[in-house]
Amino acid sequence: MRNLLRRPEFGAIAAFLVTYLFFALTTTAAGFVSINGTAGWLNLAAELGIIAIPVGLLMISGEFDLSIGSTVGAASMVVAIGTNFLGVPIWPMIGLALIMGALIGVINGLVVVKTGVASFIVTLATNFVVLGATMGVSRLIANVTSSSIVSDPAAKFLFSARWGQANISILWWMAVALTGAYVLSRTSFGNWIFATGGNLVAARGAGVPVERVKITLFVCTGIAAAFVGVLQGVQWNSGNATYGMGYVFQAPIVAVIGGVLLGGGYGSVVGIVIGTAIFGVISTGIFYTGWSTDWIQLFLGLLLGGAVLANNYIRRFALSAPRG
Amino acid sequence: MHIDLPIAPHGLRRLALSISFAALSAFAAVSPAQAQNEGPILVVSGPLSWPFFAAVKQGFDDAAELYGVDYQYIAVTDTANMTSEYPRLLQQAISRSPSILLVGEFFPDGMDPLIKEATDQGIPVIIHNSGQTLWEQNGSLGFIGEDPYQMGHKAGQIQAESGVTKGLCFNQVPGNPTVEARCTGYIDAMTEAGAATVYQTIGTGEAANQQAMMQAIMGTLQANADIDGIYTLNAEPAISALRAVQDVGRAGKISIGTADLSNEVLEAIKAGDIAFAMDQQPYLQGYLSIQSAVLYSRYGLHPIGAVTTGPLVIDSTNVDKTLEVNRKFSGVRGAS
Repeated sequence: MRNLLRRPEFGAIAAFLVTYLFFALTTTAAGFVSINGTAGWLNLAAELGIIAIPVGLLMISGEFDLSIGSTVGAASMVVAIGTNFLGVPIWPMIGLALIMGALIGVINGLVVVKTGVASFIVTLATNFVVLGATMGVSRLIANVTSSSIVSDPAAKFLFSARWGQANISILWWMAVALTGAYVLSRTSFGNWIFATGGNLVAARGAGVPVERVKITLFVCTGIAAAFVGVLQGVQWNSGNATYGMGYVFQAPIVAVIGGVLLGGGYGSVVGIVIGTAIFGVISTGIFYTGWSTDWIQLFLGLLLGGAVLANNYIRRFALSAPRG
Repeated sequence: MHIDLPIAPHGLRRLALSISFAALSAFAAVSPAQAQNEGPILVVSGPLSWPFFAAVKQGFDDAAELYGVDYQYIAVTDTANMTSEYPRLLQQAISRSPSILLVGEFFPDGMDPLIKEATDQGIPVIIHNSGQTLWEQNGSLGFIGEDPYQMGHKAGQIQAESGVTKGLCFNQVPGNPTVEARCTGYIDAMTEAGAATVYQTIGTGEAANQQAMMQAIMGTLQANADIDGIYTLNAEPAISALRAVQDVGRAGKISIGTADLSNEVLEAIKAGDIAFAMDQQPYLQGYLSIQSAVLYSRYGLHPIGAVTTGPLVIDSTNVDKTLEVNRKFSGVRGAS
């Protein structure tokens, strides 16, 4: 039991149960707890979660990535312009979008490790650069900043298949979570992530290739963001340069809710997944209450703040409990 | 870890010098049409990441090419702080003493005093897109665009006449007064017709997340089983609304109308899934603005009174022509 309490995600699980119960009780007639209602908040959480996991790992290693927002939009536009205006089949364009995501990650990573400028600033700059480039290039090629996507059945299945109202994105989210959890807790690379974020100098002294760790993680966030861009693009049949802007701060927020320390060195993938689920429940559940939506930001802020505080309190309590 | 700044102080000065040199030589090379006036034609308009303003700009571009004039398009790139960014952009544009200033008055509280300032200085101003009720008082030459309140009002009338008894107005950019005015108009028209209404917003930053919009609308439809009409303020939320209606199993029972177009919306109108889209003809707003600017600066001519470009209601009767134009001339109809 004590071991369970000591896990970084325990506070997040408790916070999840409290918020879920809150909405289950306040939305009794509206079907929030039904299978379809559940699929609804899972669909929302899944798309955010696919990005939030690599972002969380990057935060554990002590860095930020705010360029994910415009990478999502850029990837959707790469696929849209390629398929709709240039007549290229969708698969090469999906490949190109993912390569572009990886390249953005490489650039972020290299600039951060070579200059030592805070990644918060570097990736904020990249976020603007990528958004501007997407809009400029889209206009040059196709004279639009959002465009339809010409898809094919295989792509439609992989990115937008549905079972009932549950999207395939939920499976992708689980796959990313399993991979992330395995890497973080079962591989030496996972240990390097913790070491890099915990104490950079000590980690370097111990022979951890900290620069490679960071660059690799930036590449992962870039690819994940591009992947979500493709997923949303195929799902909604259109690309838009501003897709994904909401994720810029939502992804780090859910990682923190899930127990990742802003300063790095601490966190877990299960925690990030639960944090994302909390966000999905709150931001979807609130509409099932039927309350005036003018108050939504207030509720969202209070509930998120409450979840983080509860999470912190429980973790501190668990860690300070005497050993049994 | 220490940081090497790439530009030393004397380097900065050199950079500033070379920038002002570049600016000077740009002034020396103005085209003949502009040389008659002191400054450039400046346009302060909407963010180009919105398909709507991409079509407005297409109108500016085409008219500018036709009349052989140059102009500069000024807009925000980041839509998060538009209310404070637009007055700043406008101020900068005015301080460059343009020969003529074409402004979208999206945020009157911050922008109207500046427009008065500009017209007091003798800068000719033409308002486009937003600001229909204000252009005469602030000394502008004219207005080319639509009244968002009237657009929403018309949407409410159409839905009420088609038998909607409880309508939902879904606003994906809460806090934007122009967009909000559409919901106000919609709600007023529905109320006048004796129908009930629900006003719904989502969190800021979700304006481009169609999944979030869809889940929000689904939730509201579940919480209000008697909603039988939805009015959305842009093409993307219209598609989110359509899927939400299908997912709650009320397709055919909830009538959907929207402002602005996209290919998908047009196809849905054709298929009968969306009842109507209201087109304020953004291309016309840009095109007529440049045309008026040129006619005014060359001959002193300008229209008397507001030029209304919308809404043109697109429904099953005229959707085919719109789709055809849209395929042939990408970007002109504001749908993509």
